[in-house]
Amino acid sequence: MRVVLSNSAGVPIYQQIKEQVGTAILSGELAADTALPSVRALARDLRISVITTTRAYTELAAEGFIATVPGKGAYVRPLDSALVREQLLRQVEDGLQTALDAARRAGLQRDDLVQILDGLIQAERISQ
Amino acid sequence: MNAVVRMAVLDLRTVAPYRYQGLVVFGVVVALLAHNRPVVVVPALVLLVTSQVAAYPFVVADKAGLETLYAVLPLPRRAVLLGHYAWAVAAFVATATVGTTLALLLAWGESVPFGGRTLVTVLTLSWAMFVVTVAIQFPLFVRFGYSRISVLCTFLPLAVIMLAVTRLHLTIATFASIQAWLPVLWVAGAAAIVGSAAVAMAADHRRAG
Amino acid sequence: MSSDLAFALRGVGTAVSSSFGLHEVSFDLPTGYVMGLIGANGAGKTTIIRCLLGMRPIDTGEIELLGHRAPGPVALRQDIGVVLDHTYLVGDWRLTEVERTLRPFYDRWDGVRYRGLLAEFGLDPRAKVKDLSRGMAMKLMIAVALSHQARLLVLDEPTSGLDPVTRDELVGIIGDFLLDEGHSVLFSTHITTDLDRIGDYVTLVHGGRVVRTGTKDDVLAAYRVVRGGPDDLSDLVGVQLIGLRQTATGAQALVRADEAGLLGGRVLVEAPTLEEIAVHTGARVPASAGGAR
Repeated sequence: MRVVLSNSAGVPIYQQIKEQVGTAILSGELAADTALPSVRALARDLRISVITTTRAYTELAAEGFIATVPGKGAYVRPLDSALVREQLLRQVEDGLQTALDAARRAGLQRDDLVQILDGLIQAERISQ
Repeated sequence: MNAVVRMAVLDLRTVAPYRYQGLVVFGVVVALLAHNRPVVVVPALVLLVTSQVAAYPFVVADKAGLETLYAVLPLPRRAVLLGHYAWAVAAFVATATVGTTLALLLAWGESVPFGGRTLVTVLTLSWAMFVVTVAIQFPLFVRFGYSRISVLCTFLPLAVIMLAVTRLHLTIATFASIQAWLPVLWVAGAAAIVGSAAVAMAADHRRAG
Repeated sequence: MSSDLAFALRGVGTAVSSSFGLHEVSFDLPTGYVMGLIGANGAGKTTIIRCLLGMRPIDTGEIELLGHRAPGPVALRQDIGVVLDHTYLVGDWRLTEVERTLRPFYDRWDGVRYRGLLAEFGLDPRAKVKDLSRGMAMKLMIAVALSHQARLLVLDEPTSGLDPVTRDELVGIIGDFLLDEGHSVLFSTHITTDLDRIGDYVTLVHGGRVVRTGTKDDVLAAYRVVRGGPDDLSDLVGVQLIGLRQTATGAQALVRADEAGLLGGRVLVEAPTLEEIAVHTGARVPASAGGAR
């Protein structure tokens, strides 16, 4: 598992861990049922406090990314759980909102946006 | 009881790094007295050497901050104090044994008669001097720490002994004629040690620890 | 007696001298975490530690240590490792002698572990205690504490005077020690950067009193640092400025987070670092500063 913390990101450390682990799970880098380091082992390796890693894991578990088993550690949950789907939907929504804001500033209409979307899907199909 | 023994061994290890200096002093004292009456070797050694050796754990403890070690180790405070006394008695026994052996060898070498009765008298005298020294020194060390009263503690017992010797006109010959008192002195000495330990424990202001 | 707490102090008070003592000191640490005890020199950190370890009697309050009301059984010391800013061993002992001397007192002494730790810390077993540098001496005391399977490590200013490399090594040692959730650490220091990352709990001490205690995040969230021009921080109503520092070019102070809303828009309000909290809460009070503490 790869977690790289930044001192100057302005983002709290537990959040950085959450985001990096979450991203790795969503991208498939961390497969389902992969065992994650315990909160204490992670805290030791990253040289941060146990409370911080515990918080990151607790929130990841609440959002459905991982499951913690007392005494056995944590492992990655399968991606198609309902909560993870919710995360992905939220990402889509956030991404579209960002595109919408930029489109408004550029003066684009709905049809222009749909056109760009179709173009992107087309390009992806070609590159696969 | 076990804790007291462990503490006495801790005292031994505390002074062990300085054993070579101790042996030199030991040797010097013996050399100085070798041509005198060998019988004086035993009490002289006991008085001069034992009072230093018995007290030395206090000296080192003061310098090295060993009181903190005693408070950190799983060691009851009573065992710390009693262990110091146990070490002192052990040091006396060792010194008296070695001293007696040396004295007997010197006496045999110089063809000086050294009978059993003299030996017992001399050992009793040594025990008395040892007891006076330790019984006075130790409660003071415990209460005030070595560095604050080292000069007083070194010479006070010596002063008491000198006073007793001169005022009471004690000589070994006089002593030899009071054989009946010898067992009393041994018992009184043991009682004085026990009493001193009780005083030390009462005066100890680290009892809470 | 709950065993979820590594230790607890409740209303502890003791007179140290005519001008200094501990007053109403209360804080505790759940088992499995590390607490930083932060304060300037003379704030009372060492006194608190000595009281906690039973090396100093207290006048009021109560202390609980590893589930036992103090003074607990002497055997409790089997589970506690104490590291101070000086060794409390005979200087002329060699490190092998240290083991021979201390081993008989501990039921769970692990000689293999001791020798392994000496090697890991780069300490020569033939060296004498007095020949060790400050950093090496600190590591020796930690080796001793770890070798008798201590559950609670109490460190009093272990890193003062040490270089950053050694301080970082200590952070790693503490991390390893805390892999076991039954282990806890109390770490007193005036170097807050040691605790910035690994501290779980923080207790701020000043003038023999506890200024704030709680998780590190809670303590950080309890304050804001305020910066402004030289006059921006005067005449503020209802806001207590902590440790106000004024220069010709600006002023800086700490305020409680719940009072931060009363500050005007002219000043810069930010989340503080542990260092800033320690500096401002520990500042000596000038004679006449209005609104400053």
